[in-house]
Amino acid sequence: MPTLTDLMRERVLLLDGGMGTQILANNPTVEDFGGKLADGCMELLNERRPEWIRAIHANYFDAGADAVETNTFGANEVVLGEFGLAHRTREMNTIAARLAKEVALNYDAPKFVIGSVGPGTKLLSLGQIEAAALYHSYHQQMLGLLEGGADAILIETCQDLGQMKTATRAAQAAMAELKIQIPIWVQATVETSGTLLVGTDIASVLTTMERLGISVLGMNCATGPDEMHAHLAHLAENSPLPISCLPNAGLPANVGGQVVYPLGPEAFAERVIHAAKEFGLNIIGGCCGTTPAHIKVLAGRLGELHARPRQGNAERSVSSLYQSVALHQEPAPLIVGERTNANGSKKFRDLLALEDYDGLVGIARDQQREGAHMLDVCTAYVGRDEVRDMEQFLKRAITQTTLPLMIDSTEVNVIERALELAPGKCVVNSINFEDGEGKARKILDLCRDYGAAVVALTIDETGMAKTCAQKVAVAKRLYDLVVGEYGFPPSDLIIDPLTFTLGSGDEEFRRSAVETLEAIREIKAKFPGVLTILGVSNVSFGLNPGTRHVLNALMLYHAVQAGLDLAIFNSSKVLPVAKIPADERRMVEDLIFDRRAENYDPLKIVMATFSAGRGVMTTKLDVTHLSTEARLQADIIDGEKGAILGHVDDALLAFEPLHIINQVLLPAMKIVGDRFGAGEMQLPFVLESAEAMKAAIARIEPHLPKDANTKKGRILLATVKGDVHDIGKNLVDIILTNNGFEVKNLGIKQPIEDILKALEAWPADAIGLSGLLVKSTVVMRENLMLMKDENHQIPVILGGAALTRDYVEKDCRSVYSGPVLYAADAFEGLTQLRAISEGRVKDLMAAAASPSEASGIKVLRKGGSSVPLTPEGQSSWVRREPEPPTPPFWGVREGSHPLPELFDFLDEFALLRNRWGFTQGLLSNEAFEATLRDKAVPVLARWKARLLGEAVLRPRASYGYFPACSRGDALLVYAPDMVPSVPPDQRRIVARLPFPRQATGRRLCIADFFRPESSGQLDVLAMQVVTLGQEAADFAAKLYKADAYSDYFYFHGLATELTEAYAERLHAQVRRELGIHHRDSENRRQLFSQGYQGSRFSYGYPACPELEGNGPILDLLGGSRLGIRMTDSFQMDPEYTTSALVAWHPQARYFAV
Amino acid sequence: MIADTATVHFLLEDLLVQAPVGTSLQVIADAAGADITFGCRNGSCGTCRVRVTQGLEHCSDMGAEERDFLKGLCVSEDERLACQVSVLGDIEVDYLGL
Repeated sequence: MPTLTDLMRERVLLLDGGMGTQILANNPTVEDFGGKLADGCMELLNERRPEWIRAIHANYFDAGADAVETNTFGANEVVLGEFGLAHRTREMNTIAARLAKEVALNYDAPKFVIGSVGPGTKLLSLGQIEAAALYHSYHQQMLGLLEGGADAILIETCQDLGQMKTATRAAQAAMAELKIQIPIWVQATVETSGTLLVGTDIASVLTTMERLGISVLGMNCATGPDEMHAHLAHLAENSPLPISCLPNAGLPANVGGQVVYPLGPEAFAERVIHAAKEFGLNIIGGCCGTTPAHIKVLAGRLGELHARPRQGNAERSVSSLYQSVALHQEPAPLIVGERTNANGSKKFRDLLALEDYDGLVGIARDQQREGAHMLDVCTAYVGRDEVRDMEQFLKRAITQTTLPLMIDSTEVNVIERALELAPGKCVVNSINFEDGEGKARKILDLCRDYGAAVVALTIDETGMAKTCAQKVAVAKRLYDLVVGEYGFPPSDLIIDPLTFTLGSGDEEFRRSAVETLEAIREIKAKFPGVLTILGVSNVSFGLNPGTRHVLNALMLYHAVQAGLDLAIFNSSKVLPVAKIPADERRMVEDLIFDRRAENYDPLKIVMATFSAGRGVMTTKLDVTHLSTEARLQADIIDGEKGAILGHVDDALLAFEPLHIINQVLLPAMKIVGDRFGAGEMQLPFVLESAEAMKAAIARIEPHLPKDANTKKGRILLATVKGDVHDIGKNLVDIILTNNGFEVKNLGIKQPIEDILKALEAWPADAIGLSGLLVKSTVVMRENLMLMKDENHQIPVILGGAALTRDYVEKDCRSVYSGPVLYAADAFEGLTQLRAISEGRVKDLMAAAASPSEASGIKVLRKGGSSVPLTPEGQSSWVRREPEPPTPPFWGVREGSHPLPELFDFLDEFALLRNRWGFTQGLLSNEAFEATLRDKAVPVLARWKARLLGEAVLRPRASYGYFPACSRGDALLVYAPDMVPSVPPDQRRIVARLPFPRQATGRRLCIADFFRPESSGQLDVLAMQVVTLGQEAADFAAKLYKADAYSDYFYFHGLATELTEAYAERLHAQVRRELGIHHRDSENRRQLFSQGYQGSRFSYGYPACPELEGNGPILDLLGGSRLGIRMTDSFQMDPEYTTSALVAWHPQARYFAV
Repeated sequence: MIADTATVHFLLEDLLVQAPVGTSLQVIADAAGADITFGCRNGSCGTCRVRVTQGLEHCSDMGAEERDFLKGLCVSEDERLACQVSVLGDIEVDYLGL
């Protein structure tokens, strides 16, 4: 007889369907349950009404199931305890398994019994039950199922990582005790929110469970087959384990108080088979709402499926309750936050002494915000109970931070308790051979049982390895034990080759950094896959803070160059190497590489150079030699908003406040502007300078004489009527304000009447109008005409993405009675405002009249006439495709996707280069690379961590599939229940979407990519809308209001690109659901430039420039349910929202009308 | 002797345009109504990718943004972003966004 595992190798395995509804069909009464106390205890029916259960099992076997699940979903101590039956747990499971086994043995074909283990009623990770109690509860159940003869254990409907791990451990232990080995299968339940009940994503489930010796990892319950696609796709792509999928019969609906599952047997089977083919599923079956009829249809179609062996290529990762984090970070290293450590942080120690556990969690969250990828946690403090402190800290930290944990202790009992409490996959820090292998083995046993990775120090019985050769020798021994004997994957072994301080000057340690760096290189080369870690800051122990800062940064830099993967580091103190002046760098590198010479000892020089107490930025050391004024200017240019305050105080002792502003600070801002204009400085740095300026001015203001006029001039700023775009105007406000002008910022959507009214109340030297839309350029011109009618003369400066110099200097200037100027960016606006306030506006007007860029262009030949139109009036360039794809459903679905999925689709190139303005300009390649590496990339990492940690974004989406066809230049959209099989005369049109057509050339129109009405066949139109929520817009407004200029700018850019990423993410799902994803590019950057079949058209872009089209999309997709409104200029509000029409046609690409 | 005008041949619709040397390909395409779609117009979206089938040497050198963008896309050397090219001599281009 083949075993389950044999059978699974040959073909896809079919399990049974729902149990609960089948039981309830017998209408059980109190009598059936044996009295009131046990009323509703389904597991009791195995003994009281065995004929019912036997019949249900037999029905499923008859339908064609290879295996049935025992009626033991709630048969653990915790749940049975609610019926007073906890003491019978083991026995009741044995009865249930035996019953099912009896039925299975009636068949000639091999039939199997799967021991069903449900999630229980209490969540471990939320502290609703103690780990030991939960473990015992499952242990009893496992023993019973094994004794009853189950062929596999299925830990199913899992909602909590902690519970999954505990139940798995209990199963392993029970099997070891009874000496029965059967496969353990685990199934997670992903809610429509896209995560498990407590917020865990599927990636974290995989990372956590993969190492625990289970045989299958799959999904069941909560949703129908279609909603599982994204998660099944993740498993299919990454998991080395066979995948099971037991969905509900669709998403349940409440019809007249009854829960109804919408998918009948045929429809259900169609979707499950589709998913099985798509994702190479190994086990299929049903959950809630499925019946023997469902299983029967599946059985009939099993022949269509082929067992595919799984080849997981999961990156080695660690995980928290919420997310999975790859151990290999790009760029390296993975930063392990070092401050949640009683040995490493005085603050942590102090709070521990006060038992301020919430304060301790605050330290954890700070590190998360500052960009740490993992937290090192150590509660060893002399005189305190380390286990208890670890418990108290972890109970809070596991839900309140999203970072995976590194459990740092030398005590086996502390490590065990921490592993029991932490839900994800942890790293244990650490093992070594100081006292031989005994203790290391104890800790490794725990790592194996809880699926943790381990840090191993190069220490043996003779002590700490100091030379490269010694370090590599101990590493070899560690490798042989952990990888060789214990069978851990190499990347779950993280070797720490130790760092010693260079500060002691001891001859013995002079070469210690060199030895460590060489050891990293050799370990990486000799033991492929093994990772390395360093406690980098040890290198500078005992030195003054200024030295430490630079030495740590350079040691980290060289360790990463040597191949270091993880660094235990204070994440807030990562000093970009490019910011270290060359001579300091040389000096410190001489120390690291021990480049002593006669009469030259870099240690002495280093100690003499860095003065104690100046620990923040080394560049400041240069500044101390400068005059007060030069120092202030340097602060402005470097954006030192903290340091500048002290320097302002110094300056106030020596100079008049007005002198400081006019002769020192404003000229420094002018330098900033000039550098920006010359391409030497990028916008984020400019904003940091503006923040420093703002801080300095605020410091000086109280010292100004009462009637002092520091202002150079005044300007009214507004975004024009109908336009909601804020950021461009606000950047102008920031630059002008911090260059000495007085600005009244009227906000967005300002009618000219209101602007002029404001001008009356607040006379200004100029008006600045802003707007992003093409429409806004027209509005600006109309505004000028109205101003002329009212005889205004005030100079007007225009700016915005859709404006051109030509348009402003010709079309706009001609309709107004006063000066009209174009500003390409905030600094050009500044130049013009300066000229205006100094009475030089005439010169500016004369100088600006430059020849048009487009002059001198002549069309010599316009070849072959335009492509002819078809009888339907459409482009004959577009081919007719044979059959439109079938969507998995018709109509609309809503959902929300977790942030990591959005990050996955983030176009970082567009974000960094375009949104954030990190462009090379005049910088050398090296300098620009350093800027990206040391500034832009860390900023992005910090923002990602911050957004994961704070609930600032609320991503929500709605998308749907509609039957549609084209009629000339328009698309006719039908009600979703009018599926294509409904005859044409009965179809109901819900929207008619008109599109413009190219006048020449290919003569394209979006409608051409859909079947024409005359074909008599309907096509499929997908629509989607995504939003980051009002919360995101509010957060941006809050940052701006708080004068956090650079944060505001970064957030706005990131949120804008994340909105786009969300659209890209959803579009990828639509392609998958339509089965046209085979042409998706593997390369993300290619994918972002339409590297896929079909196209996504958004209103406001070249193929359909009129924003009015957003209306029907929002109506059809129920945008108001997501809180999306339309402004009177047809823009979507809140700001970070975007909608699109998706065409599947292979020739559908962007084009311009 | 350097000519002060150059011609651009847009292959898709057999459109031949003359422009002063140094004019941006984007300005030429817009002015002549060539069937090339532009997105961001600053080298970070790739919508306007073209293949330069003749006269690649008559295109201005790549700036950092275009170089890095195309490098990430792993495309062949004759591909350029129309929004980033200035025309220095006669060229022939084929639009790739089809």
